[in-house]
Amino acid sequence: MSAPFEAAESHEPCSVQEAARAMEHLGREGKRVAFVGGGTELELGRWPERIDAVVRTKGLGRIVEYQPADMVMVVEAGVTLTEVQAAARENRQRLALDPPWGKATMGGIVASGAFGPRRARYGAVRDLIIGVQMVRADGVVARGGGKVVKNVAGFDLPKLACGSLGTLGLIAGATFRLHPLPEASQTVVLPGLSAGEVVAMTSRARAAQLEPAAAVALRSVSGFDLALCFEGFGKGVEQQIAKLRQIAPTARDASDEWSRHDLVRRGGELRVKVAALPTHLPDVDRLLAPLGLRFVWYPTLGIGFAAGAAAEQAAALLADARAEIVRRGGSLVVQTAPAGFPLETWGPPPPSFPIMQRIKQNFDPDRRLNPGRFVGGL
Amino acid sequence: MISQAAIRSMKDAVGERNCITEPEQLRVYECDGLTSFRLVPGLVVLPATTAEVAEVARIARAHGLPLVPRGSGTGLSGGALPVPGCVLVGLARMKRIAEIDLENGWMRVEPGVINLEVSRRLEPSGYYYAPDPSSQSVCSIGGNVAENSGGAHCLKYGFTVNHVLGARVVLSDSSVVDLGGPVLDTPGYDLTGALVGSEGTLGIVTEVVLRVLRKPEATRTFFATFPSTDEAGNAVSRIIAAGIVPAAIEMMDRLAIVAIKAATGVDWPDVGAALLMDVDGPLAEVEHTAQEAVRIAREAGALLVRLPKDEAERQTMWKGRKSAFAAVGRISPNYTVQDGVIPRSVIAPVLREIEELTTRAGLRVANVFHAGDGNLHPLVLYDARIEGQEKLAEEVGGEILRCCIRAGGSITGEHGVGADKAPYMGELFSDDDLATMALLRCSFDPEGRMNPGKIFPTPRLCGDKPGKYTPHPLEETGEAGRG
Repeated sequence: MSAPFEAAESHEPCSVQEAARAMEHLGREGKRVAFVGGGTELELGRWPERIDAVVRTKGLGRIVEYQPADMVMVVEAGVTLTEVQAAARENRQRLALDPPWGKATMGGIVASGAFGPRRARYGAVRDLIIGVQMVRADGVVARGGGKVVKNVAGFDLPKLACGSLGTLGLIAGATFRLHPLPEASQTVVLPGLSAGEVVAMTSRARAAQLEPAAAVALRSVSGFDLALCFEGFGKGVEQQIAKLRQIAPTARDASDEWSRHDLVRRGGELRVKVAALPTHLPDVDRLLAPLGLRFVWYPTLGIGFAAGAAAEQAAALLADARAEIVRRGGSLVVQTAPAGFPLETWGPPPPSFPIMQRIKQNFDPDRRLNPGRFVGGL
Repeated sequence: MISQAAIRSMKDAVGERNCITEPEQLRVYECDGLTSFRLVPGLVVLPATTAEVAEVARIARAHGLPLVPRGSGTGLSGGALPVPGCVLVGLARMKRIAEIDLENGWMRVEPGVINLEVSRRLEPSGYYYAPDPSSQSVCSIGGNVAENSGGAHCLKYGFTVNHVLGARVVLSDSSVVDLGGPVLDTPGYDLTGALVGSEGTLGIVTEVVLRVLRKPEATRTFFATFPSTDEAGNAVSRIIAAGIVPAAIEMMDRLAIVAIKAATGVDWPDVGAALLMDVDGPLAEVEHTAQEAVRIAREAGALLVRLPKDEAERQTMWKGRKSAFAAVGRISPNYTVQDGVIPRSVIAPVLREIEELTTRAGLRVANVFHAGDGNLHPLVLYDARIEGQEKLAEEVGGEILRCCIRAGGSITGEHGVGADKAPYMGELFSDDDLATMALLRCSFDPEGRMNPGKIFPTPRLCGDKPGKYTPHPLEETGEAGRG
């Protein structure tokens, strides 16, 4: 669903203070507000019928602090992932986050909880963020976390911000821990596996104490191609790949697997995200197969994405798939869909939903920030 | 004062013998690992199930009683310090390991399970639970969740929050809620992330879903000595700048080494500083990084580098480090422990500043800490028998925290704010920051009855505007005894 911005007034603050003033002003006027970073995941969530104002973070574009020896970077929300990586690379470092949108902004990545295949090793945004600066609905600027990796002072506002989809406040800035850029990186592919074989092979790789930085199973007509990326010092990568070839003699060098992966993650008139236990892949695959979508699965995480054209019956098939996946403890989220697609975006709210409602109520009592866009109409 | 009716109901809820009312028995619970704050709870209950905890919460609500959860009581920030007339909820009886699913990398445990017991249970299958606080042989998982406990190996593996996938929680309104779970990315806010490290102020955890990891193929450990903490700190910076992510790098200064030697009998030389470092991962990677790290340590001025000849010797080296706090008791009748964090790049100057301000106060300081992530544990040594020394040691501790704040760090890296460091929160965070955190708290516990007096410098009522800092209420009323 496209964002209802046409008639909205636009704000483009160039500092956190300006953002706070804009938010305070919008609060006084009782305006309904949405936030836009790089615009890469605007279709996510259920847009309200009316948005009065948009705060764009493009002007919050400074890398505020970067001390390479501490491997910590403080950025404003509008800094793009590409800019972060370019700055870090100069010191042979990187932010170990790889959602497949270079122009995504760090504020947007935090708000949407975006991630890529390296989550297998390094975790999600929540595991890499160490500080956040938020502008609340009333224009108050609040900070949580800090600039050191190890820090348990106060409630973890950075984690609360992750994936909150602009419903609690404007994420104006964030601080991240960085990792060293690996000396070597190499991907090998185990082609043509069944869903059950993907599970078994992932398990064998773990039993063999292999530590892939990323693992992705890509569905094709002849089954899944399991791509495993190893990173680190050259000798370690070499040894791990040699060991993998022993347990999986059909392993071959990677060709276009990562671009196939990105295509699914970015593409599709219809795109869904599925989360289930890793061993439930055969069921997830069976449930999604009738939709005829492209499908990638992160076998160590138990998260998959399916994308493509929306077939007739797509909504009904997804509703059935969702019911089964939710029944087994997972979730199915419609990330993007054609206009008027009849399936609800998020699925049933989790048991903790009443707490989420109270959080929303306390942070945004007038329900002005992306109202209704998130789970259960938060 | 807790009414007889409330006590009767609590006895019905948890059973007569799991409800403690005798003054001398209550005194067992008057403090946790931070013994300088003491207050006898009104009542202690020891529930055995989630349903019993919920019933306790229901009764407490009906009678308007505050609840203070407690695990093993090893915390060092007064996180389990009772408040006047509270019901202390001891969770030590809830120690069932309910479910293990290695294929999907998780297990479900009750909060009273001891940290080390988790890894022991997993050991035969080649898996483990990563967070390893130095107190891991006695501290509980529930306490770890409350404090977001770290440990030596969180440099590479992260903290409790990175290894907790979900939890079952009893809220102050007695509802039982599941947050997160074994499957990642439950739609909605990351309430598991908000819960871990909330120091028992959001609810009482009665089940925890932990992430479990396959053991790494190899671990290499080395011990290196240096003329002073300057060279040792420099070695740490250079090892990390070389792109190595050690599993752990621990530093000990001269006085800490003396204490550890006296307590454990490890045959370490008398030197200005020592590093103990682990690298782990795939064998070839580890051999390469260990070699590199040793080379860098030598270049940075290491006097001696020692590699353990076998696993037993490796364990002895680590035992020396992990027993450091207790060891300091051998060289000083009393000491306070701090838990400040600073950016790694300023370790050397901050250590000098700490040394100077301690010496100026006429006291001694021993440092044993997680150097890789700048998490200092200065132990300020004093003698309580000497008039005024205890107060002096506390003042020095406060100055050390201010040093850490000035250096861009934090007042706590793994012990939690608790009652101990709540007065300093107003120096680290603005009123607006704290008021915003309070919004989260009010969403879980609008009446403020869950573990009151912790984290926040002033009690905040839900709906309050931010107020100015005032001393800890327990200090003002004199209800928190010292020593």
